Amino acid sequence: MSQTQVNSICPFCGVGCGIALVASDNNITAVQPLSKHPISQGKLCAKGWNTPFGINHHDRLTQPLMKVDGEFRVVSWKHALSHIAENLKQFICESGPQSVGLISSARATNEDNYAAQKFARAVLKTNNIDHCARICHSPTVAGLKKTLGSGAMTNSIDDVGKADVILVIGADPTENHAIIGGKIMKAKLRGAKLIVVDPRQTRLAKVADLHLQLNIGTNIALLNGLLNIIFAHGWQNDEFIARRCEGADALKAHVADYTVEKVSVITGVDGADLVKAAKLYSQANAAFLAYGMGITQFVSGTNNVIAVSNLALICGQIGREGTGINPLRGQNNVQGACDMGCLPNVYPDYQSANDEQVRSKFSRAWQTEVARLPGLTSLGMSHQARHGNFRGLLIFGEDPVVTDPDRNKVAQGLRAMDLLVVIELSMTETAKMADIVLPAASFAEKRGTFTNCERRVQLIHKAVSPPGEAKIDWQILSELAKEMGFPELMNWQTSEQVFDEMCKLTDSFSGMSYPRLKQNNGLQWPCNNEYPDGSRCLHSTTFPIGKGKLIPVYHVLTDEVPDAEYPYWFTTMRLHFHYGCGSMTRQSPLLERETPIGLLFIHPQDALDLGLKNHQGVTVSSRRGCVETRIEFSNQVSPGLLSMPYHFKEAPSNFLTNDAMDPITEMPELKVCAVNIIPLPENQPPRSSVLSDAGSRVSQ
Amino acid sequence: MLQLTPQTIRIVDVYDDGSHARHFTFEPKGFVHDNPISIGQFFMLTLPGVGLAPFTYTSIPDKTGRFNALIRNVGHLTEKLFSLGKGDVLGYNGPFGRGWPVGLIKHKEVLIVAGGCGLAPVAATIDYLINNGYSKSVTLLYATRDSASQVLKKERTRWSSSIKLIETLEVGGDSDHSGLPTQYLSHLLNKDDQYPDIVLTCGPEAMMMAVANSCVDLGLKTSDIWMSIERRMRCGVGLCGHCYVANSYACQQGPTYRYDEYLALESKTVAFEKDKVLFQYC
Amino acid sequence: MIERYNIVNNRYLLKDLGVLKHHLAKYYSVVQIQKDADGEKLWTEQFGDKIEPLFGHNHLPLTSPKGFLFAEKEVLYKFDGETFKTILPQVQPKVMFGVQACDLSAIAYQDKFFEHDPYYQKRRENILLVGIDCESPCVTGFCVQVDAGPHVKDNTADLVLSRLNVDDANGSSEWLVIAATEKGINSIKGMTLDKADNKHLKLRTKLLEKVRSEFVDYSYISNAIEYLNNNSVPAQLWEELSVRCLGCSGCTNLCPTCSCYTTYDVVEQQPEKPVSISREVKLEVTKSETIRCWDSCLFEGFQKEASGHNPSQKAAQRVERFWFHKFSDEYLPEFQRYGCVGCGRCEQTCPGTIGVHSVMKRIDQQCCS
Repeated sequence: MSQTQVNSICPFCGVGCGIALVASDNNITAVQPLSKHPISQGKLCAKGWNTPFGINHHDRLTQPLMKVDGEFRVVSWKHALSHIAENLKQFICESGPQSVGLISSARATNEDNYAAQKFARAVLKTNNIDHCARICHSPTVAGLKKTLGSGAMTNSIDDVGKADVILVIGADPTENHAIIGGKIMKAKLRGAKLIVVDPRQTRLAKVADLHLQLNIGTNIALLNGLLNIIFAHGWQNDEFIARRCEGADALKAHVADYTVEKVSVITGVDGADLVKAAKLYSQANAAFLAYGMGITQFVSGTNNVIAVSNLALICGQIGREGTGINPLRGQNNVQGACDMGCLPNVYPDYQSANDEQVRSKFSRAWQTEVARLPGLTSLGMSHQARHGNFRGLLIFGEDPVVTDPDRNKVAQGLRAMDLLVVIELSMTETAKMADIVLPAASFAEKRGTFTNCERRVQLIHKAVSPPGEAKIDWQILSELAKEMGFPELMNWQTSEQVFDEMCKLTDSFSGMSYPRLKQNNGLQWPCNNEYPDGSRCLHSTTFPIGKGKLIPVYHVLTDEVPDAEYPYWFTTMRLHFHYGCGSMTRQSPLLERETPIGLLFIHPQDALDLGLKNHQGVTVSSRRGCVETRIEFSNQVSPGLLSMPYHFKEAPSNFLTNDAMDPITEMPELKVCAVNIIPLPENQPPRSSVLSDAGSRVSQ
Repeated sequence: MLQLTPQTIRIVDVYDDGSHARHFTFEPKGFVHDNPISIGQFFMLTLPGVGLAPFTYTSIPDKTGRFNALIRNVGHLTEKLFSLGKGDVLGYNGPFGRGWPVGLIKHKEVLIVAGGCGLAPVAATIDYLINNGYSKSVTLLYATRDSASQVLKKERTRWSSSIKLIETLEVGGDSDHSGLPTQYLSHLLNKDDQYPDIVLTCGPEAMMMAVANSCVDLGLKTSDIWMSIERRMRCGVGLCGHCYVANSYACQQGPTYRYDEYLALESKTVAFEKDKVLFQYC
Repeated sequence: MIERYNIVNNRYLLKDLGVLKHHLAKYYSVVQIQKDADGEKLWTEQFGDKIEPLFGHNHLPLTSPKGFLFAEKEVLYKFDGETFKTILPQVQPKVMFGVQACDLSAIAYQDKFFEHDPYYQKRRENILLVGIDCESPCVTGFCVQVDAGPHVKDNTADLVLSRLNVDDANGSSEWLVIAATEKGINSIKGMTLDKADNKHLKLRTKLLEKVRSEFVDYSYISNAIEYLNNNSVPAQLWEELSVRCLGCSGCTNLCPTCSCYTTYDVVEQQPEKPVSISREVKLEVTKSETIRCWDSCLFEGFQKEASGHNPSQKAAQRVERFWFHKFSDEYLPEFQRYGCVGCGRCEQTCPGTIGVHSVMKRIDQQCCS
């Protein structure tokens, strides 16, 4: 038995830590951390350490499957692909290119994602291409695009170490971006001041200098309040505002309405703490602001992001090392999937799909017509399907049935389609609903690039061969393009060819190549003539839109607030030990064991009031559905607030969550809704909820 | 070398006992126990494809090698185990650990305090004492949450004619026999003629500690109290590390500990204020 | 276990380590530290002609060679539907070439712990340990404080390599080779080597003193070990430290003496069976295998029982447990040394900055004030 090591990048969150994959007999037996990796420097989180379980698990798909009479049968690739191609051609012919689309994956490589959007735009002639950023950071992309012109993290991860104030809003980095969380804790040890804004008492909140435990959904009130305090004390950076921003006067007038007293009432945060936080942040030499889905997953998601941007701009806390606006991206390549244009409105490098010049540029390069009509988002495709206007969908490596809000509706949408193709590692809940399931290669089985949240494009290498007949996403799309009648369009032989084609068609990546990525341990975009060695920090002299825009935004109530019928606030969260829908992490016996007995976190006082014992079964219900689970006492949540991790298909929080949307991005309000809980009899275990093949809820 | 690979046993009998517990009778398949098994030792059961877990002998192997276990349905593995029946084959490793101090308890006034399913690990001891003519000096205090969660009904009926058997219920008992076992203890240990020489206790850890502390408060020596400690065992042979109690492994130095030994082990590590949770019977 | 052997007459001199390695490569596959393009050091297995020059001595890889003896994941036994069958690892003879003193001390520690473990011993029997004396302290290492280095300890390696001098002019070195066990002596049979004498041994001792003197003052570690054993570290400090424990398992994975494991079962797939999409997992197991993998006492679930009862519910208990296991005097009778060999890897890998140096410093500061 011989052993080999291949360097790669951790496949979980957006931090992008370095790992060596140790392989033996074509199996990944272990991972090793890399001390020389620029970000992780020898550290990994529990998920990263458990990577081998996620790759090797015994129920990997190895052959194409087609559903015949409700049962999956093994078919050949040739048969599967020609069946898909025939159907897609027919739908396009009968119902137009708007009736078909793709959902790409934030877990797949840049090469896969580039291929996916190219397939949509050049083969299917549709802009119906989307991925899960819709439900994590689409408001970031939209909001920061408006205020700055670019929606990515403005700084590098190790800037945390250069900041003297760190402000974390609506993010739980020690659990979800553990290595960044660790860097924040380390910075705090070194003497940096840490401010945490979160309705839950997260681990960081426990070690913070200031924890502003705001009422859920009151971010804008809080941020406007801070701005008002800053203006009132003259703590704003006038020089920066004059030189780099526009709209300061209107903003100042707007936030004057948000007095300390008023904000204190709305947010539930002590006025003195608001003043302290405003002073610390505005007066810092370098204030590192990080935020997560506690900002984006609201009906006011885009406005929340704008409010964050206002704060940073007014204080001049952007454009230097150690200070800026830093959205923490959830998935390993969600940054890359956005960068590659797997969004209905943009081509790679955020070139507008509505811009005729952009369209003709790509049309010329690809030597074919490209899509002309505006595209649909993933929820839009699902919505159109329920109305009979959308017929064929290819989903790569995502499990929207588990991860998207109001899963009953999602399932209805998928069921209404004439053809659902799922390209996956294993038989997920969504794959079970598919007409055709194609076996995909995991990240350990291919070469390519991932882009982490600090815009660093990093190479991954093949450590083992794909199991059975599994193939790489871009290869599948390349072959499908041939079946569709485009033999040359996507006829790549290597992932490097895909990458090189992408670099030629973009500016931000124009200075990159595989050899250069290898030499530099990854490169941060923009990497072009102006910044040949990439960019550690964005916006140092100017913003992509020239001056930064200060845009007044109003505090609005969340779509649902507790009432007599549904008296509790409900929020979703993630656990350090699990990732997404759990399809990889739950294969690890170690991580699975870490799952708490109860999946609904409740303050002990609320439990006492309801006469509930720890771990007792309850029914949680919202206006959309109900779930049975056990409660877990926790001091992380305040009384009146219940919190549930979303990883578990036995207790899918998305039966409960609200699909009310941010009007700008269609981001659903996953972070908050109103629920009720009813105790189950003391010895009655909760029934686990699963989705039947027909898509309706059944209990086991 | 140690043998980590299980031997095979077959289920030969199954019957329900109490609300969530079931009796299993096992028969070795193609092997005999090399060494005699002492009362209070434990074994590991392996369910192929599912996993493994430790259980105690409710009765030690008879002449044919058959032995019993009372198993409570508490988790994933036991749930699968409960779906099995007569004739099904399982993996078995054992016996492991140290049993009850049987040699010490003959001719002594013995008080046994068991809680919930903690009656199972002391059942064989009670039978041993009865069968060897020591029944007059045995008192069993059996505590459960309610009557539905009482186990070993058959055995208790049999024992009640030969030993002093007291049953308390947290909920639903008569005024003398309701509440926690510790409340009854002070009542019991007030009578000089009942004063035990030795106490064996088995049940939820919090209950055993409460019982042990009450006994000490009532004048017993820590060295006269024995308890059986449950841990998440994985190997039974001191390798996997799961069952540590300070620098001992419960699978080897335990699961039966003398209270003073246990306290000495505990004192080697920091005493943390435990979150206040009332114990629940298993 | 490495047998003590009369080493008086088994010490030699060698100019080129490549000669020794090529000789050993005839009988063993060679595992040694290699540096990749980024400068990352990894223990790597080499084959045939791909033997590259030795790199390393004082450069400790982040990952210890533990996995070559106590595998991260290995099948223990299989169930064929009728009986259970032991699956011992298939191993080829390997030479671990250039193992540093701390890792050798750790292997000696695990040799004792796994003395009766057939899987460990099967691998161990087939490994020849070639130790190498460190020539300078490494970044986080404090082997001196815990009696594990910087020079290879007696009875921890089959062959010991110690560089006596470097001729800067032509870059050549002179190495002392000590064959410390019978296995070591046999391994170099057939080589023609010059005998070394007492003066070479004395030179080695002198060099050892020089390296020892280069270590910075790590007295806080010795102090903290004393406080730990007095049981005078307050619970509150453990509570504070444990907030920083994310439960990643990095420290226990990288610790060369950590040995806890868990087991899990995998049902062998029947490839010819049609894919089932039923959700019920029925116990119609025909074949399965039981695998053991490294575990970590820092996981909340490590001691959690099926009933929900958890004797180490609090992160503070688990963090304390880890350090108790590494530094308690209670383990000295069994192992004659602490569980910590001073490699400092936990400090490098801990995302929460509660590796050995951070923790020991905090204990020293808090307990002496």
